Amino acid sequence: MTDAAKQITLTIDGVEVSVEAGTTVLQAAEHAGVVVPHYCYHPGIPSRPAQCRMCLVEIEGQPKLQPSCVFPAGDGMVVHTTSETAETARKSVIEFLLLNHPLDCPICDAAGQCMLQDYAFETGQLRSRYAEAKMVLGRDRVAEDILYFGDRCIVCTRCVRFMEDIAGDNALVVAQRGHKAYIDTFPGRDLDHAFRGNIVDVCPVGALVHEDFVFKARAWDMDSSPGICPGCSTGCNIEVNVKENQVVRTKPRLNPDVNSYWMCDHGRRSLVMSNRGVRAEAPMVRQGGELEPASWNEALAWVAGELGDSNGIALASAGVSNEALFYTRALLDRIGVEGGTFQVEQGDEVTLSGFPKLKLRADRAPNAAGAELHRFTRADGLPEVPNGATLVVLGDAISNAPADYGANAGFFLYIGSHLFPAARNATAILPAATVAETDGTFVNYEGRVQRFHRALRAPGVARPAWMFLSRLLEQLGGEPGVREIGDAFAAMATGTAGLEGMSWAGLGLRGELLSEAGQPAVAAE
Amino acid sequence: MGYPYSHDLEVGTQLSRHFGDERARTLEGWKELGGYATLPKALEMDPDAITEVVKNSGLRGRGGAGFPTGVKWSFMPKEPNGPHYLCCNADESEPGAFKDREILRWVPHLLIEGCLIAARAIRAEHVYIYVRGEYFPYTAILRNAVVEAYEGGYAGDDILGSGWSCDVTVHLGAGAYIAGEETGLMSSLMGGRAEPWIKPPFPAQSGAFGRPTTVNNVETLAAVPMIVAEGSDWYRQWGTEKSPGTKLWCCSGHLERPGTYELPLGMKLSDVIYEICGGAPGGKKVKAVIPGGSSTAMLTADELDCPGCYEGLAEAGSALGTASPIVMNEDTNIVQAMRRIAQFYAHESCGQCVQCREGTSWTAKILHRIEIGEGTAEDLDTLYHLCEQMTGRTICPLADSVVFPLLSSLDKFKDEYEALIKR
Amino acid sequence: MGEQVKKPLHPAAASSQPFQVTDLRPTERLFDDPEGRDRLDKALSRYPEKRAALLPMLGYAQERNGWVSDENMTEIAGELDLTPAYVRSVATFYTMYNKHPVGRHLIQVCTCISCHLNEGQEVFEQFLSETGTRAGEVSEDGRYTVIEAECLGACGFATAVQINDRYFESVTPGKVSAILDELD
Repeated sequence: MTDAAKQITLTIDGVEVSVEAGTTVLQAAEHAGVVVPHYCYHPGIPSRPAQCRMCLVEIEGQPKLQPSCVFPAGDGMVVHTTSETAETARKSVIEFLLLNHPLDCPICDAAGQCMLQDYAFETGQLRSRYAEAKMVLGRDRVAEDILYFGDRCIVCTRCVRFMEDIAGDNALVVAQRGHKAYIDTFPGRDLDHAFRGNIVDVCPVGALVHEDFVFKARAWDMDSSPGICPGCSTGCNIEVNVKENQVVRTKPRLNPDVNSYWMCDHGRRSLVMSNRGVRAEAPMVRQGGELEPASWNEALAWVAGELGDSNGIALASAGVSNEALFYTRALLDRIGVEGGTFQVEQGDEVTLSGFPKLKLRADRAPNAAGAELHRFTRADGLPEVPNGATLVVLGDAISNAPADYGANAGFFLYIGSHLFPAARNATAILPAATVAETDGTFVNYEGRVQRFHRALRAPGVARPAWMFLSRLLEQLGGEPGVREIGDAFAAMATGTAGLEGMSWAGLGLRGELLSEAGQPAVAAE
Repeated sequence: MGYPYSHDLEVGTQLSRHFGDERARTLEGWKELGGYATLPKALEMDPDAITEVVKNSGLRGRGGAGFPTGVKWSFMPKEPNGPHYLCCNADESEPGAFKDREILRWVPHLLIEGCLIAARAIRAEHVYIYVRGEYFPYTAILRNAVVEAYEGGYAGDDILGSGWSCDVTVHLGAGAYIAGEETGLMSSLMGGRAEPWIKPPFPAQSGAFGRPTTVNNVETLAAVPMIVAEGSDWYRQWGTEKSPGTKLWCCSGHLERPGTYELPLGMKLSDVIYEICGGAPGGKKVKAVIPGGSSTAMLTADELDCPGCYEGLAEAGSALGTASPIVMNEDTNIVQAMRRIAQFYAHESCGQCVQCREGTSWTAKILHRIEIGEGTAEDLDTLYHLCEQMTGRTICPLADSVVFPLLSSLDKFKDEYEALIKR
Repeated sequence: MGEQVKKPLHPAAASSQPFQVTDLRPTERLFDDPEGRDRLDKALSRYPEKRAALLPMLGYAQERNGWVSDENMTEIAGELDLTPAYVRSVATFYTMYNKHPVGRHLIQVCTCISCHLNEGQEVFEQFLSETGTRAGEVSEDGRYTVIEAECLGACGFATAVQINDRYFESVTPGKVSAILDELD
């Protein structure tokens, strides 16, 4: 019999909780609905130096206050996190931290999402009685895209320990000692690890900031949507921060089965420019010789009429949602175009050594597995378009195609968000929302179906592909078009192996693995 | 016995008997003086029997904490499943303490013998003697002694043909008081910043290199050979029930005869200062004494009649610490002295805990302002507040160490502070 | 200058060689010559982990060059399987590793409490004035750097002064001149 499974019961702030032996008091407190303020502790970083001293709590029978982030919970223990001694201690930590802390809130990116501000308000310790000159450390570059404001730093060492424990690269360290301590890299060697951006997320204050985010947006100016990173096939769960219809920041969202608390830098950049570029903003049809804008009703009616069943080829994308792929496949089935290929840009794989499941994977697109689920096959390069053939293109398949690609098609239907050069050869352009502008699901490398949510407004009258394709199918004699993502998903789930029994609501924010029937061809690793 | 001055008391054990005698630092000389006589005996004893003798002697850690040494040794696993380590703490950096260097430079072989016997007791096979970096001249003497010990078969493989092997490595620090804290020492030894870690895990479970380790002070280990040789009752002929044995008192500050003296524990502090050390020179009166090295509470001249032992000084509101009284005469500016002490701690804080990192330097800054006449009444309140906030909240007691002298100086010399406060 | 037959370095002594010395033997690469390699190997042999040889090797760099440069740190990091940043973190923690070149004689005057009570501050100022330097700077002729030290562990022999690897005790302001005259 091991102790590992042993349950113990303790009382925290009057609430009795039962936890596994080995749990710390801080973790046990979470079960009691109590969040003990802390800095240096981070649930995703294994090392626990217990050095910030913010999480000190009163435990009956202990002569001194104890750091709850490391103190093991004991059977019958009675803990007080808000007793007078605990609160006094907590207030004094805030006061000490404010001694040399600059009054940067008006210009600090962390304002509104800063653990120093939060706890200062929570404890009521809003000022210090420091009457000496403050230490000035200035600003330093620790990576080409990350700045370090030494004055703001509280030396909690989360960033140092993230790099050491999780990134496996001891490139960020504490230099000097005592009140002169600060964080630094080796001179001349900036951080260049693929996952370095996480140090900004773990920083409780505004000491570490992304250079491409600095001064861009205040915490309260941003809207936030839960999303899935489209950078690679891992499908990190993310939070998309938007200001004035522009993605200004992407942060990771906790998913213990996919990405823990982390994401890579490539992923962070992947959404920022996603809605820029030359966009298809309105449906365009080539009724005469030129492409002319048309209303959705006109465009869909015209396309429904024109789409014949001559031989055809289809190009799909690993960068669009399952729902878009499903309805495209349904359309192709209806008009008798078989097969269809997609390309996926490849890149070097980088593993996050402290959480090996998380890698920046070689497939630099979020939904290759989804594309395969909908019977598209992976290919290298674009197929030749036979003269006069029907060409259906979904998404960014033609982003790098030569400008005359598709010019010889009989009917070139382009369903996409950007007006690539080759898109101008289209017979009809149906403007789609990007993955940041619609709800949908992706299937990641291991067959996990995950929801992402709309963060931006699509320009012009661009709409989600699943929405207008379902209406196009209706025009071709199919089921009524859907307007809600839940209905789109439900339609997809009934018709696709691996998704049976799933629902949009049921997926929640953690996702669900495809059943056996739908497992991707490439084994998850 | 003492160095550089001696005294008339009949207390001169192996610890101090050879202070000043250069013969004792060579193997040959040391053997002539009867050295290494106990090691063969210890090699025949069961490790736990050695621990038992030391436990019964009541020897307490001489590095300041005063934890019973035999009890500390008994925490080590009896059935090793891998290496055990003994670390000899020669990082002596406490202001006022300079006793360990006398052992290093006069009787290094005594220390080596003590280390080996202790290693045997805790089933260790490697002793690291961590010496503060600044002690170059004394490290050279120790280093030569260690090499001689190897060459003479007293250290290394198959010691004195017993079949037991134990290595001794002399390892230099590089200027960090906090490396004298036992977990800070092990942190530094392993090739890191001397940053103390939280306990648990305790060193006897997981210490140096993740292995069971015991850290003992130089003076503690140097007392081991004679205790094992003569027995625990013999050691208890000196001292008190709770503080048995003798102690090296290193006395400094304003004294006629500053230096190191071996004295029985329990001797009145006033006797140490006036009889042994001759009081303050030039006929000056003593104003204050910090009895145990700078990390202990100040005592006024009226409070010196207490027994100089662990419990006696605790009862007097201070602590024995390293038995390193710093004596201040009547002309001393207490505020200035306190500022200098606070400056030391601000310089030496490792920086992990917020209270210590910020609090020690804040304390020094406030004291400096008061010293130069720019202090206010609020500053005194702040100092009291700081004393409260820095006590009992940190990984190691460095923050508490500045509070002991500070709080006692505020309480007992309030008039000096107030005289400097601007109206 | 004759070649002295030196006793080979005993491994037990490899981690405790003095590293603030007057006679430097400057070298760009620490471990490309037999002496450096021998020192490293012997130090490594004393510990179960390579990292534990870090302080001895930082000391070795300073023993040869008088200070520890970024290049030295990078080389040491390479030998001990550490990152240069980590080596720098350790080197900057400790007071005694010089991060910049210092004068031929590093004069450290203790001004901590026991020496403070015995003219420590005055001795420090006397050294500054007689060497014509400001605290921490290298004198123009490169001979001296004068700094304050925290307790040197010679409190009963105040004021204590450390000059490279030598201790000078019971120093008073009046004795400073004679001490400086002794130095080359």
